Amino acid sequence: MKHSGQVSYHLCRLLLGAVFVWAGAVKALGVPAFAGQVAAYQLLPYAWNYAVAATLPYVELLAGTLLLVNVRSKPAALLLLLLNTLFIAVLASVVARGLSIDCGCFGPDAGTTPLQALGRDALLLALAVAVYRQHDRYLLPPTT
Amino acid sequence: MKPLQRTLSEAVLIALLGLLAGLAINHRLVLDAFAGRLAASGPVATTANTALPQPVLLAEVRELAATGALLVDARDAALYADGHLPAAVSLPLAEVDALLESFRQQVAAARTLILYCNGYGCPDSFDLGLRLISEGYRDVRVFEGGFPEWRDAGLPVVKGDQ
Repeated sequence: MKHSGQVSYHLCRLLLGAVFVWAGAVKALGVPAFAGQVAAYQLLPYAWNYAVAATLPYVELLAGTLLLVNVRSKPAALLLLLLNTLFIAVLASVVARGLSIDCGCFGPDAGTTPLQALGRDALLLALAVAVYRQHDRYLLPPTT
Repeated sequence: MKPLQRTLSEAVLIALLGLLAGLAINHRLVLDAFAGRLAASGPVATTANTALPQPVLLAEVRELAATGALLVDARDAALYADGHLPAAVSLPLAEVDALLESFRQQVAAARTLILYCNGYGCPDSFDLGLRLISEGYRDVRVFEGGFPEWRDAGLPVVKGDQ
């Protein structure tokens, strides 16, 4: 039993890491375009959209990479858990305000509606929770 | 330190490192964006400038356009046709040599010009501004937020040639 749990933990960790490395890389390569998509959420003063667009992709890239290489994977999973909670709150506000905008989560022209993005973020949140909770069970040596 | 506290502070540290990396790599873009924003709170030049194009913000663009300033789109013709600010004329930086003569015949040197292109990170409107100043235009301003800021603010966009 312990073995299959370990396999599923590492699969979750690799999947979560890969998704965020991909999302971060796509956006890091097109920061001005991403800034436009952040601006479309109409949540921040205009210049701040550029600050978010300049930094968020690198936070995602770093956390995703740590998960992939299995270094500091627990805090990385916690960070992505918190980020995803934030994304879900932001997307919920988009749905509540009735804005029809592209999510921008994986770069331009993905054509994801806010509702689809919400569903996807819920899955990613579940994945982050799974990695965070299972980390100690499968990786830490027993404490004395 | 409790385990959760420790994990949380490591998570914050990862976020900070990512944040710093992003700022280090994109500092120019971010500084440009905030310089445009900060221009709003600073004193507004009351006399027309002669040396450098002056930045204007979205609200001033709307005011100036309503009082007779000419909007000039510095992007290429295809982007202009895809969508541009109402009443803006097209003067792509790449074609300025060919188009300048007819532009000069139609636009007086004393007229206030507001140049824009694709937003922060797009230097074309500023470069076009320098060129127009050297051609004798006396009040040249640059809307650095450009087409994206206008569109994202939900303001009307015109397609086609006019």
